[in-house]
Amino acid sequence: MASRVVVTGYGAVSPLGVTADTTWQNLISSQNGIDTIKCFDASTFPVKVAGEVKNFDPVDYMDPKTARYTDRFAQFAISASRQAIEHSGLVIDDSNRYDIGILIGTGIGGTHSMEEQVSVLNSRGPMRVSPFIVPMMIADNATGRVSIETGIRGFNLSLVSACSTGTDALGIAYKMVKHGELKAALAGGTDAAITPLGVAGFSQAGALTKNPDPCTASRPFDSRRDGFVIGEGSGVLVLENLESALERGAPIFAEIVGYGATSDAFHITQPLASGESAVRAIQMALKDIGFEEVGYINAHGTSTKLNDASETRAIKNSFGSRAYDIPVSSIKSMLGHMLGAAGALEAIVCCKVIEDGIIPPTINLLNPDPECDLDYVPNQAREKRVDTVISNSFGFGGHNSVLALRRYL
Amino acid sequence: MDIHAELKQAICKVNPGIDETKITPEATFVGDLEMDSLSMVELSLAMEDSFGVTLPDEELAKLTTVGEVAELIQSKMGA
Repeated sequence: MASRVVVTGYGAVSPLGVTADTTWQNLISSQNGIDTIKCFDASTFPVKVAGEVKNFDPVDYMDPKTARYTDRFAQFAISASRQAIEHSGLVIDDSNRYDIGILIGTGIGGTHSMEEQVSVLNSRGPMRVSPFIVPMMIADNATGRVSIETGIRGFNLSLVSACSTGTDALGIAYKMVKHGELKAALAGGTDAAITPLGVAGFSQAGALTKNPDPCTASRPFDSRRDGFVIGEGSGVLVLENLESALERGAPIFAEIVGYGATSDAFHITQPLASGESAVRAIQMALKDIGFEEVGYINAHGTSTKLNDASETRAIKNSFGSRAYDIPVSSIKSMLGHMLGAAGALEAIVCCKVIEDGIIPPTINLLNPDPECDLDYVPNQAREKRVDTVISNSFGFGGHNSVLALRRYL
Repeated sequence: MDIHAELKQAICKVNPGIDETKITPEATFVGDLEMDSLSMVELSLAMEDSFGVTLPDEELAKLTTVGEVAELIQSKMGA
Protein backbone atom coordinates (compact mmCIF):
# COMPACT_ATOMS: atom_id res chain seq x y z
CA MET A 1 0.00 0.00 0.00
CA ALA A 2 1.25 3.45 -0.85
CA SER A 3 2.32 5.77 1.96
CA ARG A 4 1.87 9.51 2.11
CA VAL A 5 5.19 11.33 1.82
CA VAL A 6 5.99 14.48 3.76
CA VAL A 7 8.83 16.96 3.95
CA THR A 8 10.22 17.05 7.48
CA GLY A 9 13.31 19.17 6.98
CA TYR A 10 15.46 21.02 4.52
CA GLY A 11 18.80 22.73 4.19
CA ALA A 12 20.38 24.93 1.56
CA VAL A 13 23.49 26.73 0.41
CA SER A 14 22.83 29.40 -2.19
CA PRO A 15 24.09 32.69 -3.62
CA LEU A 16 21.70 34.36 -1.14
CA GLY A 17 22.93 32.63 1.99
CA VAL A 18 24.44 29.51 3.46
CA THR A 19 21.19 28.42 5.10
CA ALA A 20 17.66 27.84 3.83
CA ASP A 21 16.26 30.54 6.10
CA THR A 22 18.66 33.29 5.06
CA THR A 23 18.08 32.40 1.44
CA TRP A 24 14.31 32.58 1.91
CA GLN A 25 14.41 35.89 3.77
CA ASN A 26 16.55 37.38 1.01
CA LEU A 27 14.31 36.01 -1.71
CA ILE A 28 11.16 37.54 -0.28
CA SER A 29 13.01 40.86 0.14
CA SER A 30 13.85 40.89 -3.61
CA GLN A 31 17.58 40.68 -2.87
CA ASN A 32 19.92 39.92 -5.72
CA GLY A 33 22.57 37.22 -5.19
CA ILE A 34 24.22 37.79 -8.56
CA ASP A 35 27.50 39.66 -8.82
CA THR A 36 30.63 39.99 -10.92
CA ILE A 37 32.56 36.71 -11.13
CA LYS A 38 35.10 36.59 -8.30
CA CYS A 39 36.12 32.93 -8.02
CA PHE A 40 38.35 33.08 -11.10
CA ASP A 41 39.68 35.78 -13.39
CA ALA A 42 36.99 36.21 -16.02
CA SER A 43 38.51 39.29 -17.65
CA THR A 44 38.93 37.55 -21.01
CA PHE A 45 35.47 35.95 -20.84
CA PRO A 46 32.43 37.39 -22.59
CA VAL A 47 30.37 36.46 -19.52
CA LYS A 48 31.01 38.65 -16.48
CA VAL A 49 28.47 37.71 -13.81
CA ALA A 50 27.44 34.68 -11.77
CA GLY A 51 25.48 33.72 -8.69
CA GLU A 52 28.38 32.65 -6.48
CA VAL A 53 27.95 31.27 -2.97
CA LYS A 54 29.60 33.73 -0.60
CA ASN A 55 31.07 33.20 2.87
CA PHE A 56 30.94 29.42 2.68
CA ASP A 57 33.62 27.82 4.82
CA PRO A 58 33.55 24.03 4.39
CA VAL A 59 35.30 23.55 7.71
CA ASP A 60 32.11 24.71 9.42
CA TYR A 61 30.52 21.42 8.29
CA MET A 62 33.36 18.86 8.00
CA ASP A 63 36.87 18.26 9.23
CA PRO A 64 39.70 20.03 7.38
CA LYS A 65 41.01 16.86 5.74
CA THR A 66 37.58 15.95 4.38
CA ALA A 67 37.20 19.51 3.13
CA ARG A 68 40.53 19.37 1.31
CA TYR A 69 39.67 16.20 -0.57
CA THR A 70 36.06 17.05 -1.35
CA ASP A 71 35.07 19.09 -4.38
CA ARG A 72 33.03 22.23 -3.78
CA PHE A 73 29.88 20.63 -5.23
CA ALA A 74 30.03 17.85 -2.64
CA GLN A 75 30.94 20.26 0.18
CA PHE A 76 27.71 22.13 -0.54
CA ALA A 77 25.75 18.87 -0.37
CA ILE A 78 27.30 17.92 2.98
CA SER A 79 26.36 21.30 4.41
CA ALA A 80 22.79 21.22 3.05
CA SER A 81 22.34 17.62 4.26
CA ARG A 82 23.52 18.40 7.77
CA GLN A 83 21.16 21.37 7.93
CA ALA A 84 18.27 19.26 6.64
CA ILE A 85 18.83 16.50 9.18
CA GLU A 86 19.08 18.99 12.00
CA HIS A 87 15.95 20.77 10.81
CA SER A 88 14.00 17.50 10.73
CA GLY A 89 15.29 16.27 14.07
CA LEU A 90 15.94 12.91 12.44
CA VAL A 91 18.30 10.81 14.53
CA ILE A 92 20.29 8.29 12.52
CA ASP A 93 21.28 5.21 14.48
CA ASP A 94 21.38 1.42 14.23
CA SER A 95 17.60 1.25 14.34
CA ASN A 96 17.13 3.10 11.05
CA ARG A 97 20.37 3.67 9.13
CA TYR A 98 19.52 1.07 6.44
CA ASP A 99 15.97 2.43 6.02
CA ILE A 100 17.10 5.90 4.94
CA GLY A 101 18.30 6.64 1.43
CA ILE A 102 20.37 9.39 -0.12
CA LEU A 103 19.46 10.69 -3.58
CA ILE A 104 21.41 13.84 -4.29
CA GLY A 105 22.05 14.56 -7.93
CA THR A 106 24.39 16.90 -9.70
CA GLY A 107 24.26 18.34 -13.18
CA ILE A 108 28.00 18.67 -13.65
CA GLY A 109 29.93 17.03 -10.78
CA GLY A 110 33.41 17.96 -9.59
CA THR A 111 34.52 20.21 -12.39
CA HIS A 112 36.63 22.43 -10.08
CA SER A 113 38.85 19.46 -9.25
CA MET A 114 38.84 18.09 -12.76
CA GLU A 115 39.93 21.35 -14.35
CA GLU A 116 42.68 21.78 -11.81
CA GLN A 117 44.02 18.27 -12.40
CA VAL A 118 43.76 18.50 -16.20
CA SER A 119 46.06 21.48 -15.86
CA VAL A 120 48.46 19.41 -13.70
CA LEU A 121 48.30 16.58 -16.23
CA ASN A 122 49.13 18.89 -19.13
CA SER A 123 51.87 20.83 -17.38
CA ARG A 124 53.53 18.15 -15.22
CA GLY A 125 52.47 14.78 -16.64
CA PRO A 126 50.44 11.77 -15.49
CA MET A 127 52.61 10.89 -12.49
CA ARG A 128 51.69 14.21 -10.86
CA VAL A 129 47.92 13.79 -11.02
CA SER A 130 46.27 13.62 -7.60
CA PRO A 131 45.10 10.16 -6.51
CA PHE A 132 41.99 11.89 -5.18
CA ILE A 133 40.85 13.22 -8.54
CA VAL A 134 38.48 10.40 -9.41
CA PRO A 135 36.56 10.40 -6.13
CA MET A 136 36.57 14.20 -6.13
CA MET A 137 35.13 14.66 -9.60
CA ILE A 138 32.65 11.81 -9.97
CA ALA A 139 29.02 12.70 -9.56
CA ASP A 140 28.34 10.25 -6.74
CA ASN A 141 30.95 11.77 -4.46
CA ALA A 142 28.28 14.01 -2.96
CA THR A 143 26.07 11.09 -1.93
CA GLY A 144 29.08 9.00 -0.90
CA ARG A 145 30.42 11.75 1.32
CA VAL A 146 27.01 12.47 2.80
CA SER A 147 26.69 8.79 3.69
CA ILE A 148 30.10 8.81 5.41
CA GLU A 149 29.33 12.04 7.25
CA THR A 150 25.84 11.03 8.42
CA GLY A 151 26.09 7.27 8.89
CA ILE A 152 23.15 6.65 6.53
CA ARG A 153 23.54 3.23 4.92
CA GLY A 154 20.43 2.76 2.78
CA PHE A 155 19.95 3.19 -0.96
CA ASN A 156 22.46 5.68 -2.33
CA LEU A 157 22.25 7.25 -5.77
CA SER A 158 23.45 10.31 -7.58
CA LEU A 159 21.39 10.94 -10.65
CA VAL A 160 21.96 13.36 -13.50
CA SER A 161 19.34 15.06 -15.64
CA ALA A 162 21.06 18.39 -16.23
CA CYS A 163 19.00 21.26 -14.84
CA SER A 164 16.12 18.93 -13.91
CA THR A 165 18.37 16.95 -11.57
CA GLY A 166 17.15 18.34 -8.25
CA THR A 167 13.49 17.83 -9.12
CA ASP A 168 14.11 14.33 -10.45
CA ALA A 169 16.07 13.30 -7.35
CA LEU A 170 13.15 14.45 -5.23
CA GLY A 171 10.68 12.74 -7.54
CA ILE A 172 12.44 9.39 -7.42
CA ALA A 173 12.93 9.66 -3.64
CA TYR A 174 9.22 10.48 -3.30
CA LYS A 175 8.32 7.34 -5.24
CA MET A 176 10.67 5.15 -3.23
CA VAL A 177 9.27 6.39 0.08
CA LYS A 178 5.71 6.24 -1.23
CA HIS A 179 6.08 2.60 -2.24
CA GLY A 180 7.79 1.54 0.95
CA GLU A 181 11.34 1.05 -0.37
CA LEU A 182 12.60 3.62 2.13
CA LYS A 183 11.25 5.13 5.33
CA ALA A 184 13.02 8.39 4.65
CA ALA A 185 15.35 9.94 2.13
CA LEU A 186 17.74 12.82 1.95
CA ALA A 187 17.09 14.11 -1.52
CA GLY A 188 18.03 17.08 -3.64
CA GLY A 189 20.77 18.44 -5.83
CA THR A 190 24.10 20.18 -5.76
CA ASP A 191 26.35 21.94 -8.24
CA ALA A 192 29.42 24.14 -8.32
CA ALA A 193 30.34 24.81 -11.92
CA ILE A 194 31.32 28.46 -11.87
CA THR A 195 34.71 27.54 -13.30
CA PRO A 196 36.56 28.63 -16.43
CA LEU A 197 35.39 25.55 -18.37
CA GLY A 198 31.85 25.67 -16.99
CA VAL A 199 31.36 29.33 -17.83
CA ALA A 200 33.12 29.11 -21.22
CA GLY A 201 31.13 26.01 -22.15
CA PHE A 202 27.68 27.33 -21.26
CA SER A 203 28.63 30.64 -22.85
CA GLN A 204 29.73 29.07 -26.14
CA ALA A 205 26.46 27.15 -26.23
CA GLY A 206 24.72 30.52 -26.20
CA ALA A 207 22.98 29.76 -22.91
CA LEU A 208 24.47 32.52 -20.72
CA THR A 209 23.75 36.22 -20.79
CA LYS A 210 26.67 38.47 -21.67
CA ASN A 211 25.02 41.36 -19.87
CA PRO A 212 27.76 42.59 -17.48
CA ASP A 213 25.35 44.33 -15.11
CA PRO A 214 24.64 42.04 -12.13
CA CYS A 215 21.48 44.00 -11.35
CA THR A 216 19.72 43.22 -14.62
CA ALA A 217 21.54 40.15 -15.96
CA SER A 218 18.92 37.61 -14.90
CA ARG A 219 15.48 38.79 -16.03
CA PRO A 220 13.15 35.85 -16.59
CA PHE A 221 10.08 36.59 -18.72
CA ASP A 222 11.31 40.13 -19.53
CA SER A 223 11.41 40.95 -23.24
CA ARG A 224 15.10 41.89 -22.95
CA ARG A 225 16.22 38.59 -21.41
CA ASP A 226 19.12 37.09 -23.34
CA GLY A 227 20.41 34.09 -21.41
CA PHE A 228 20.73 32.67 -17.92
CA VAL A 229 23.21 33.53 -15.20
CA ILE A 230 25.13 30.55 -13.86
CA GLY A 231 24.69 29.96 -10.14
CA GLU A 232 25.84 27.33 -7.66
CA GLY A 233 24.78 25.78 -4.38
CA SER A 234 22.76 22.92 -2.98
CA GLY A 235 19.32 22.08 -1.66
CA VAL A 236 18.54 18.93 0.30
CA LEU A 237 15.19 17.88 1.77
CA VAL A 238 14.24 15.12 4.17
CA LEU A 239 11.32 13.19 2.71
CA GLU A 240 9.68 10.80 5.09
CA ASN A 241 6.76 8.46 5.11
CA LEU A 242 3.94 10.05 7.05
CA GLU A 243 3.61 7.26 9.57
CA SER A 244 7.29 7.42 10.61
CA ALA A 245 7.17 11.19 10.74
CA LEU A 246 4.12 11.17 13.01
CA GLU A 247 5.54 8.41 15.16
CA ARG A 248 8.63 10.40 16.01
CA GLY A 249 6.78 13.73 16.26
CA ALA A 250 8.66 15.28 13.34
CA PRO A 251 7.83 18.74 12.05
CA ILE A 252 5.91 18.50 8.77
CA PHE A 253 6.37 21.35 6.32
CA ALA A 254 4.50 20.03 3.28
CA GLU A 255 3.33 16.87 1.61
CA ILE A 256 4.59 15.71 -1.76
CA VAL A 257 1.57 14.76 -3.83
CA GLY A 258 2.84 14.20 -7.32
CA TYR A 259 5.74 13.95 -9.70
CA GLY A 260 5.84 13.86 -13.45
CA ALA A 261 8.75 13.57 -15.84
CA THR A 262 8.99 13.32 -19.60
CA SER A 263 11.52 14.00 -22.32
CA ASP A 264 11.36 15.99 -25.53
CA ALA A 265 13.00 13.66 -28.08
CA PHE A 266 14.00 16.83 -29.87
CA HIS A 267 17.34 18.58 -29.23
CA ILE A 268 20.39 18.37 -26.95
CA THR A 269 20.01 21.91 -25.62
CA GLN A 270 16.80 23.52 -26.93
CA PRO A 271 13.41 22.85 -25.38
CA LEU A 272 10.53 21.74 -27.56
CA ALA A 273 8.97 25.08 -28.52
CA SER A 274 5.39 23.88 -28.16
CA GLY A 275 6.03 22.76 -24.61
CA GLU A 276 4.07 19.59 -25.37
CA SER A 277 6.24 17.24 -23.28
CA ALA A 278 6.33 19.75 -20.44
CA VAL A 279 2.52 19.76 -20.44
CA ARG A 280 2.57 15.98 -20.10
CA ALA A 281 4.93 16.24 -17.12
CA ILE A 282 2.59 18.75 -15.46
CA GLN A 283 -0.37 16.47 -16.10
CA MET A 284 1.47 13.50 -14.58
CA ALA A 285 2.41 15.50 -11.49
CA LEU A 286 -1.21 16.55 -10.97
CA LYS A 287 -2.94 13.30 -11.88
CA ASP A 288 -3.93 12.50 -8.30
CA ILE A 289 -4.93 15.97 -7.15
CA GLY A 290 -6.17 17.78 -10.24
CA PHE A 291 -5.42 21.19 -11.71
CA GLU A 292 -7.99 23.26 -9.82
CA GLU A 293 -6.15 23.48 -6.54
CA VAL A 294 -2.82 24.80 -7.84
CA GLY A 295 -2.24 28.24 -6.33
CA TYR A 296 1.39 28.89 -7.26
CA ILE A 297 3.85 27.74 -9.88
CA ASN A 298 7.54 27.95 -9.18
CA ALA A 299 8.81 28.35 -12.71
CA HIS A 300 11.98 27.00 -14.21
CA GLY A 301 12.20 30.56 -15.61
CA THR A 302 15.85 30.59 -16.65
CA SER A 303 15.83 33.98 -18.44
CA THR A 304 16.65 32.42 -21.82
CA LYS A 305 14.53 33.44 -24.80
CA LEU A 306 13.49 29.87 -25.50
CA ASN A 307 12.78 28.50 -22.01
CA ASP A 308 10.61 31.30 -20.75
CA ALA A 309 8.45 31.36 -23.87
CA SER A 310 8.01 27.58 -24.10
CA GLU A 311 7.40 27.26 -20.34
CA THR A 312 4.73 29.97 -20.53
CA ARG A 313 3.12 28.10 -23.42
CA ALA A 314 3.21 24.86 -21.43
CA ILE A 315 1.56 26.50 -18.42
CA LYS A 316 -1.18 27.98 -20.61
CA ASN A 317 -1.75 24.70 -22.40
CA SER A 318 -1.98 22.89 -19.05
CA PHE A 319 -4.22 25.28 -17.16
CA GLY A 320 -6.19 26.98 -19.94
CA SER A 321 -7.63 30.39 -19.09
CA ARG A 322 -6.98 29.76 -15.39
CA ALA A 323 -3.24 30.09 -16.13
CA TYR A 324 -3.71 33.87 -15.91
CA ASP A 325 -4.97 33.62 -12.32
CA ILE A 326 -2.06 31.57 -10.97
CA PRO A 327 1.02 33.42 -9.70
CA VAL A 328 4.15 32.12 -11.41
CA SER A 329 7.60 33.26 -10.30
CA SER A 330 11.24 32.57 -11.04
CA ILE A 331 13.69 32.84 -8.18
CA LYS A 332 16.48 32.46 -10.76
CA SER A 333 16.02 36.21 -11.20
CA MET A 334 17.78 36.54 -7.82
CA LEU A 335 19.97 33.42 -7.58
CA GLY A 336 20.95 32.71 -11.13
CA HIS A 337 20.60 29.13 -12.25
CA MET A 338 21.95 26.66 -9.70
CA LEU A 339 21.84 23.89 -12.35
CA GLY A 340 21.34 20.50 -10.68
CA ALA A 341 20.58 22.17 -7.36
CA ALA A 342 17.93 24.51 -8.78
CA GLY A 343 14.94 22.18 -8.54
CA ALA A 344 15.83 21.19 -4.98
CA LEU A 345 16.13 24.75 -3.74
CA GLU A 346 12.91 25.57 -5.57
CA ALA A 347 11.15 22.71 -3.76
CA ILE A 348 12.33 24.19 -0.46
CA VAL A 349 10.96 27.55 -1.57
CA CYS A 350 7.64 25.85 -2.37
CA CYS A 351 7.54 24.56 1.22
CA LYS A 352 8.21 28.08 2.48
CA VAL A 353 5.46 29.53 0.28
CA ILE A 354 3.01 27.08 1.86
CA GLU A 355 4.36 27.68 5.38
CA ASP A 356 4.62 31.47 5.31
CA GLY A 357 1.95 32.48 2.80
CA ILE A 358 4.39 34.62 0.83
CA ILE A 359 5.23 34.25 -2.85
CA PRO A 360 8.75 35.28 -3.84
CA PRO A 361 8.94 37.65 -6.80
CA THR A 362 10.49 37.55 -10.25
CA ILE A 363 12.80 40.55 -10.06
CA ASN A 364 14.06 42.60 -13.04
CA LEU A 365 10.76 42.17 -14.82
CA LEU A 366 10.37 45.62 -16.34
CA ASN A 367 9.69 45.16 -20.05
CA PRO A 368 6.77 42.86 -20.73
CA ASP A 369 7.12 40.29 -23.48
CA PRO A 370 3.90 39.62 -25.42
CA GLU A 371 4.87 35.94 -25.49
CA CYS A 372 5.15 35.86 -21.71
CA ASP A 373 1.90 37.30 -20.40
CA LEU A 374 1.19 35.46 -17.14
CA ASP A 375 1.25 36.84 -13.60
CA TYR A 376 4.96 36.49 -12.80
CA VAL A 377 4.76 38.30 -9.44
CA PRO A 378 6.99 41.11 -10.72
CA ASN A 379 9.63 42.63 -8.48
CA GLN A 380 7.83 42.45 -5.12
CA ALA A 381 6.92 39.45 -3.00
CA ARG A 382 3.21 38.94 -2.48
CA GLU A 383 1.27 37.74 0.52
CA LYS A 384 -1.12 34.97 -0.40
CA ARG A 385 -2.17 31.78 1.29
CA VAL A 386 -1.37 28.91 -1.02
CA ASP A 387 -2.16 25.26 -0.36
CA THR A 388 -0.96 23.53 -3.51
CA VAL A 389 2.05 24.35 -5.66
CA ILE A 390 4.03 22.88 -8.50
CA SER A 391 7.69 23.34 -9.29
CA ASN A 392 8.89 23.02 -12.88
CA SER A 393 12.38 22.03 -13.96
CA PHE A 394 13.68 21.49 -17.47
CA GLY A 395 17.12 20.43 -18.60
CA PHE A 396 19.53 20.15 -21.51
CA GLY A 397 18.78 16.89 -23.23
CA GLY A 398 15.06 17.59 -23.13
CA HIS A 399 14.14 16.76 -19.54
CA ASN A 400 10.80 18.00 -18.19
CA SER A 401 10.23 17.39 -14.49
CA VAL A 402 7.48 18.62 -12.25
CA LEU A 403 6.92 18.15 -8.54
CA ALA A 404 3.62 18.89 -6.80
CA LEU A 405 3.50 19.82 -3.10
CA ARG A 406 0.55 20.52 -0.85
CA ARG A 407 -0.10 21.80 2.63
CA TYR A 408 -0.17 18.85 5.01
CA LEU A 409 -3.62 18.53 6.51
CA MET B 1 68.01 20.93 4.84
CA ASP B 2 66.17 19.68 7.89
CA ILE B 3 64.53 16.59 6.40
CA HIS B 4 62.36 15.93 9.45
CA ALA B 5 60.95 19.43 9.50
CA GLU B 6 60.27 19.41 5.75
CA LEU B 7 58.68 15.99 5.94
CA LYS B 8 56.48 17.10 8.81
CA GLN B 9 55.37 20.06 6.74
CA ALA B 10 54.50 17.81 3.79
CA ILE B 11 52.51 15.50 6.08
CA CYS B 12 50.61 18.49 7.47
CA LYS B 13 49.88 19.76 3.97
CA VAL B 14 48.39 16.42 2.96
CA ASN B 15 46.48 16.05 6.25
CA PRO B 16 45.01 19.44 7.13
CA GLY B 17 43.89 19.60 10.74
CA ILE B 18 46.26 16.85 11.92
CA ASP B 19 47.64 17.03 15.47
CA GLU B 20 51.25 17.91 14.67
CA THR B 21 52.58 16.42 17.90
CA LYS B 22 51.63 13.00 16.54
CA ILE B 23 54.18 13.33 13.73
CA THR B 24 57.17 11.67 15.37
CA PRO B 25 59.80 9.45 13.71
CA GLU B 26 58.11 6.41 15.27
CA ALA B 27 54.62 7.33 14.09
CA THR B 28 53.06 4.94 11.57
CA PHE B 29 51.25 6.45 8.61
CA VAL B 30 48.29 4.11 8.56
CA GLY B 31 47.85 3.58 12.30
CA ASP B 32 48.99 6.72 14.08
CA LEU B 33 48.42 9.30 11.37
CA GLU B 34 45.25 7.67 9.98
CA MET B 35 46.41 7.93 6.38
CA ASP B 36 44.95 5.76 3.62
CA SER B 37 46.55 4.63 0.36
CA LEU B 38 45.32 7.73 -1.47
CA SER B 39 46.84 10.04 1.11
CA MET B 40 50.12 8.15 0.82
CA VAL B 41 50.27 8.83 -2.93
CA GLU B 42 49.39 12.47 -2.26
CA LEU B 43 52.22 12.57 0.29
CA SER B 44 54.71 11.16 -2.18
CA LEU B 45 53.74 13.97 -4.60
CA ALA B 46 54.21 16.56 -1.86
CA MET B 47 57.59 15.06 -0.98
CA GLU B 48 58.70 15.28 -4.61
CA ASP B 49 57.94 18.99 -4.44
CA SER B 50 59.75 19.46 -1.13
CA PHE B 51 62.84 17.33 -1.76
CA GLY B 52 63.09 17.09 -5.53
CA VAL B 53 63.40 13.31 -5.37
CA THR B 54 61.02 10.72 -6.76
CA LEU B 55 59.90 8.05 -4.32
CA PRO B 56 58.51 5.08 -6.26
CA ASP B 57 55.26 3.63 -4.90
CA GLU B 58 56.88 0.17 -4.50
CA GLU B 59 59.60 1.55 -2.25
CA LEU B 60 57.24 3.73 -0.27
CA ALA B 61 54.82 0.85 0.24
CA LYS B 62 57.44 -1.07 2.22
CA LEU B 63 57.84 1.71 4.77
CA THR B 64 55.49 2.17 7.69
CA THR B 65 56.91 4.97 9.85
CA VAL B 66 57.78 8.61 9.38
CA GLY B 67 61.39 7.90 10.38
CA GLU B 68 61.78 5.22 7.71
CA VAL B 69 60.57 7.58 5.02
CA ALA B 70 62.96 10.27 6.27
CA GLU B 71 65.80 7.77 5.91
CA LEU B 72 64.73 6.90 2.37
CA ILE B 73 64.69 10.58 1.44
CA GLN B 74 68.09 11.02 3.04
CA SER B 75 69.53 8.16 0.99
CA LYS B 76 67.96 9.44 -2.23
CA MET B 77 69.29 12.92 -1.66
CA GLY B 78 72.71 11.68 -0.73
CA ALA B 79 72.89 9.49 -3.83
